[in-house]
Amino acid sequence: MNTAIRVRDLRRTFGTVVAVDGVDLDVIDGEFLTLLGPSGSGKTTVLRMIAGFERPDAGTIELDGVDVTSAPPYARDVNTVFQDYALFPHMSVLENIEYGLRVKKVPKAERRARAMEALEGVRLADLGDRAPSQLSGGQRQRVALARALVNRPKVLLLDEPLGALDLKLREQMQVELKAIQRDVGITFVFVTHDQDEALTMSDRIAVFNEGRIVQLGTPAEIYEFPASEFVAGFVGTSNLLRDETARAVLGNAGTWSIRPEKIRISAAGTPASSGERAVAGTVREVIYVGMSTRMVIDLAPGGTLVAVEQNSGRHADERLSMRGEHVTLLWNTEHEYSVN
Amino acid sequence: MHAKRLLKVAAVSASAMLLVAACGGSSGSSSSGSSAAASGGAAAETPGGSAFAGPVGMGEGQVNILAWPGYVEDGSTDPAVDWVTPFEKETGCQVNLKTFGTSDEAVKLMQGGGWDVVSASGDATLRLIYGDLVQPVNTDLVPSYADIFPDLKMQKFNSVDGVAYGIPHGRGANLIMWNTDKVTTPLDSWAVTFDPKSPYKGAVTAYDSPIFIADAAVYLMATQPELGIKDPYALDKTQFDAAIALLTQQKELIGEYWSDYTKATQAFESGSTAVGTSWQVIANLAEADGGHVAAAKAKEGATGWSDTWMIAKDSANINCAYKWVDYIASPSVNAQVAEWFGEAPSNAKACDLTTDKNFCTSYHAGDTEYWKDVYYWNTPTTACLDGRTDVQCIPYSEWGTAWTALRS
Amino acid sequence: MTTTTATHRGFWYRHPGLRQGGLLTAPMAWLVVVYLGSLAALFLTAFYQVDDFTGQVVRSFSLKNFQNLFTTSAYYQSVFRTISIAVLVTVLCLVIAVPLAFFMARVAPRSWRPVMVALVLTPLWASYLVKVYAWRSMLQPDTGVIAWFLKPLGLGGPGYGYLGIVITLTYLWLPYMILPVYAGLTRLPDSMLDASADLGAHSGRTFRSIVIPLIFPSVVAGSIFTFSLSLGDYITAQIVGGKVTMLGNVVQQTYVTNLPFAAAVATLPVIIILLYLLAVRKTGALENV
Repeated sequence: MNTAIRVRDLRRTFGTVVAVDGVDLDVIDGEFLTLLGPSGSGKTTVLRMIAGFERPDAGTIELDGVDVTSAPPYARDVNTVFQDYALFPHMSVLENIEYGLRVKKVPKAERRARAMEALEGVRLADLGDRAPSQLSGGQRQRVALARALVNRPKVLLLDEPLGALDLKLREQMQVELKAIQRDVGITFVFVTHDQDEALTMSDRIAVFNEGRIVQLGTPAEIYEFPASEFVAGFVGTSNLLRDETARAVLGNAGTWSIRPEKIRISAAGTPASSGERAVAGTVREVIYVGMSTRMVIDLAPGGTLVAVEQNSGRHADERLSMRGEHVTLLWNTEHEYSVN
Repeated sequence: MHAKRLLKVAAVSASAMLLVAACGGSSGSSSSGSSAAASGGAAAETPGGSAFAGPVGMGEGQVNILAWPGYVEDGSTDPAVDWVTPFEKETGCQVNLKTFGTSDEAVKLMQGGGWDVVSASGDATLRLIYGDLVQPVNTDLVPSYADIFPDLKMQKFNSVDGVAYGIPHGRGANLIMWNTDKVTTPLDSWAVTFDPKSPYKGAVTAYDSPIFIADAAVYLMATQPELGIKDPYALDKTQFDAAIALLTQQKELIGEYWSDYTKATQAFESGSTAVGTSWQVIANLAEADGGHVAAAKAKEGATGWSDTWMIAKDSANINCAYKWVDYIASPSVNAQVAEWFGEAPSNAKACDLTTDKNFCTSYHAGDTEYWKDVYYWNTPTTACLDGRTDVQCIPYSEWGTAWTALRS
Repeated sequence: MTTTTATHRGFWYRHPGLRQGGLLTAPMAWLVVVYLGSLAALFLTAFYQVDDFTGQVVRSFSLKNFQNLFTTSAYYQSVFRTISIAVLVTVLCLVIAVPLAFFMARVAPRSWRPVMVALVLTPLWASYLVKVYAWRSMLQPDTGVIAWFLKPLGLGGPGYGYLGIVITLTYLWLPYMILPVYAGLTRLPDSMLDASADLGAHSGRTFRSIVIPLIFPSVVAGSIFTFSLSLGDYITAQIVGGKVTMLGNVVQQTYVTNLPFAAAVATLPVIIILLYLLAVRKTGALENV
């Protein structure tokens, strides 16, 4: 496996704010890597330094084995899809897509052919003559993608490209983006603060917090085994048992996490099977979310857990009436993990 | 101090010009063709009706004055310079003043009406008289008139057929002036400003007004007597064309034209202008600033100005108007105005009252010889001012057009 | 009392047209009567004549003024000279203003901006006449500051004349070009420039292909100022123009003696600016101004 991007000890400060505080990162050729984190965690700054829009204060960036740390953006074989798309308003859709090729003096005929191909690739072949202002948000987003991909870059950088779309369109674009990435086989580095998006699309996720990468792994690793309380809380629902409560419930001190979907809700007094743990509790809140129901349960020994159940069996209204009921929570002890 | 005052005057007149230029475009419909024809026909009679019979009685409480900047001072320019306040106290006539920057502007303002008196130069007076905008003045009602220098009374520009149309205010001649660093031998002729072989090519200046055509005519009177010019303001077609040809030729020599005297003073002082037309006041001003300049009246003669206080035909404050023209021409006030503005006073007794005892001498106030070949600004009309009836003369409107074309 | 108020409010609420009408009547009246009215009067006057004897306007329709204007070489040369001055001033303002505004809006630290804008505006606080007279002394042949600077290079100063007018007008109208261009540049999203660089364009290419087209409407707005202000000026020509005159001087010299002719001359800049606006409209630059 080749390394497409190698980042070592990258640092960047804006005034007194340390935006990026020593980031090491290897992006593997052809993978879909997501930089996930809350706003201000440094993920966008890392992306912009890879693109060349920001100069690092310290550290190195290698693209395909070549040090590009001080190379200007136009000398790097990467392209970017911007959060606001940054389509040139004075050019038609086709001219926008052709711009990169025109700058690189690609002959007109080839330029036109490649642009049309890219436009077809994002299913906008008919809209080449439109002005960007005449397109919908989703269409603009696809034009921005085509404009970047037409240059066949080594790496495509995407800076929260779906942030401005509504939920439905965002979900559709997530699938589409992933499909395009698989088709063209280009390395994608994708920045987002949306955990669902990250989990859906990525081969690997780098979770950022306070200018550092706090965990790097596959979506399943990140979700199932968050390396810290922060990751556990940021990716998925934070279902934590701390110190005294943890000792009372689990018999172990420290901070522990159990994902909500791992918890089963049974009638009060149901005994645990082998390898399971049973804990009594009272339903404090029932939240109907369509596909599933979330329940907030106060445990008898202390502490609170959230459990999620698919709405496949019982009628949802029955569950809504469970508020205040005494129940027993059951889960496999394998799903208890320490996040210290 | 002298310079500061003139700067103010220049600034005021320049801003007034701006204002009028801005409004000029739309005010075209104010004058009427029918009245123009009527006054044209009435030219042989006495325009403006008959003079006020008197006696001058109680003031109406106010008087509306149109004047050159510097002629009507109430202490607001310089607290020590104030002859308006004593007048108001003495007569009870409140002075409402508006100043103008050019004779053309004065005429335009008079056409708008609402004024009682105006200080008009010779190139405006006839237009005001024949435009039926001013009335004859009964000089018997103006005691100061008795002391006015005789050679200023009943001139072509302030009287028609023996009827006086105003009270003379002061006069000045247009001089040839030079920078003594650039011009080492004293000059006494306009030749260096008109001769194509002039050594001062590119550093000659001239007054930027249609009336400057008369300066060329004065030079032609001396150098081409065969043209038969007797009055530089009465030019027939041939004479006029000769003057324009001379000016076109002069344009090659010109570095710049001047129309406000701050600019002229600065140009002469700095030497960017070596020689050209000027006024006595500019020479004094440049000298006071330490400029190396000299000025003289050219041997060919010169144009000049003589200003006249006139009374508007439809004056609503006739008593105050008469009180004002008498007051402003009285010896002590006339002396103050002349010194402040820098011109020769019109009242002979004013010469004893100037603060600078040599003032009248340096401005040649009573020097009849000096003024003999000074041709005061006048308004050319189709009827030749020199009395010729066999030809038509070129009227002022065409002087304006020709000058504009020359300058464009 | 309360009821009355409520009813009144209701009335205005129910009649939005009347409400707008009430608000707009005074400004509209001003625009139509004073502004368009005076333009119409100007245009009409251009076809009148003047009585030679009294110098008063005679209302008889004739094309003589325009004929005179276009057949007398002195006049139409003056027209071309004035247009060429206005064009040169506009080009010079552009050449100076665009890099300056770019520096202000995109290069210098954001905290400098208010100070720099204030500095650009300072010349506007001084009187027009003071500035032109200052240029008169700077442009003075031989002894002026500019001549003094050029002397070591073996060059004379521009002196008073065509070049002096162009330099002075460029100085006078420069802020009117800098400010709209600066505003246009601050509105330009950073991501546009990043995107261009990202697609392989170096700074020069980005400036040419992205920045210039995007700030074009601002440049047009600025050029309308510099062009029309130059076209109508006459005082600068009087003070630093030597013997060179512009159309404004022709108007100034003739408006009293021959108002209809002055009106005809004054109509020209109006027509030229209208033509300019039409040409600019064709490029679409006015749509987003």
